[in-house]
Amino acid sequence: MDLEMVSYLSKLGKLAFSDDELKKTAEDMTSIIEIMDTIKEIDITYDALADNHNVYLNDLREDISAPSMETAKILQNAKNSNNCFVVPKVVE
Amino acid sequence: MDITSKSIKDLRSMLDSKEISAKELTSEYFDRIKKYDGKIKSYITVTEEKAFADAEKAQEKINAGDADLLCGIPMAIKDNICTEGVKTTCASKMLEDFVPPYNATVMNKLEEKNIVMLGKLSMDEFAMGGSTQTSAFAKTKNPYDIERVPGGSSGGSAAAVSASLCTAALGSDTGGSIRQPSAFCGVTGLKPTYSRVSRYGLVAFASSLDQIGPVAKNAYDCGIILNAIAGYDPHDGTASKSATMDYTSEIGKGIKGMKIAIPREFYAEGIDEDVRKAVMDSAKIYESMGAELVDCSMPSLKYAVSAYYLISSAEAASNLSRYDGIKYGHRSTKGDNFNELICNSRSEGFGEEVKRRILLGNYALSSGYYDAYYGKAMALRQKIRAEYADIFEKCDVILTPTTPTVAYKADESISDPVKMYQADICTVTVNIASLPAISTTCGYDAKGMPIGMSIVGKQFDESVIIKVADAFEKQFNPVQPVL
Repeated sequence: MDLEMVSYLSKLGKLAFSDDELKKTAEDMTSIIEIMDTIKEIDITYDALADNHNVYLNDLREDISAPSMETAKILQNAKNSNNCFVVPKVVE
Repeated sequence: MDITSKSIKDLRSMLDSKEISAKELTSEYFDRIKKYDGKIKSYITVTEEKAFADAEKAQEKINAGDADLLCGIPMAIKDNICTEGVKTTCASKMLEDFVPPYNATVMNKLEEKNIVMLGKLSMDEFAMGGSTQTSAFAKTKNPYDIERVPGGSSGGSAAAVSASLCTAALGSDTGGSIRQPSAFCGVTGLKPTYSRVSRYGLVAFASSLDQIGPVAKNAYDCGIILNAIAGYDPHDGTASKSATMDYTSEIGKGIKGMKIAIPREFYAEGIDEDVRKAVMDSAKIYESMGAELVDCSMPSLKYAVSAYYLISSAEAASNLSRYDGIKYGHRSTKGDNFNELICNSRSEGFGEEVKRRILLGNYALSSGYYDAYYGKAMALRQKIRAEYADIFEKCDVILTPTTPTVAYKADESISDPVKMYQADICTVTVNIASLPAISTTCGYDAKGMPIGMSIVGKQFDESVIIKVADAFEKQFNPVQPVL
């Protein structure tokens, strides 16, 4: 995996790397992709219609409203809050 | 025998007969934690004050003759399961000071049974790893040899049970994270069927694979804990409404006539001879108990690690996008704008392995690569499920090694992600196929390190695999670690 691809994926994942970290990450990712590539040997395709085993969507709860978590509890772990989440200015 | 090395069943009778009080039992464990956990490093947070308050409540129940099987039993919880008012770090700088405002459903269920919570246990960061050496706070050691890893990601859970620093623990298993450390630390770990136990309040790694389960001294204790935590939960849209049962009810019914599948790929190249021999010797013991061993095949096993890492990383990349430094978690002091703040918070908060998984997940899902990687991995998921279904048409359970090797030295492998990934070969297919499996100790290598075997069952057949594991345990003499 080249540095350009790692930079692109970092951007998608909102991660920043120094130049040295980027180089080391590219090496690690190259080895990882090599083992992932073993699945290219096999010729099969995913059948979405056949795949309903894993998620039990029939078991969703009744759509009944209930009290939500109180604001203070929601904000208790925010590092910067003022009865709401405080973020850097977005509109300039 | 030290009281802390006793099983839930033994402690239950001691508590009920007033041979020991819940408070005295709790003190015994804290004495031991203070004496040994500096060496083992299984706990991230010890909750002494809460534990004694729990013990007091439990004692009231015991005195009233109203004690459940878990009442007063000292347990500890993997640090990715939310505990209201008690730090839940996921062993990550990202959640270093995160205090959940709610309990995971499993915690509510255990508290209803009046367990005594001793604390929160170390793990690989965000449950990504097999050594507990990616923990930002406690790089746990193996109680059988502190130079070796306890496995992971529930390494704290397995090491704490093994070292008798709690009677039992909860872990979570996405690709083997309960079973592999249980095998490395010589204890019993159960990964229930996907959907059997609510994931509400479990910090999400890969939502289609994650499942909470018990780590304990034996299969019977795992069954007791599963009885407490299994069941439907309106907070988890993937929790099954199918009826629960007493998962210990099959114990003692014998295994005569059962068909045990031996899929040959699990015993092939890459599996250490000591491990292969110990599991095959155990198969012979089952045969002597009246079970029939059935040779079978799982041709797709060689692709399983790739399929697992592609699916789990794709889901992790999505799940971990919630960590932005704004709502909760580490917030960088650097960043002039919204995007820079998020990027810096994530880069400072996540460790190397977590970052690699995010990159891999985004790669597998990105335009131009989706069909070749994620699409193919999902196709393999179907194929692996179909191969399991074929085996279960002819057999009742499947017997495999839990790990290709015994626990390795802490400085071996962990710097090589590829080697680490490949070590998951024996466990990942169970998660891919949403099946239940239990790992129990079946022997020791020449250096005295435990060897684990896994019994895999049909969906919702937890009572059967618990019975099969228990049948072996009853004739096996486990060796306790010397601390």
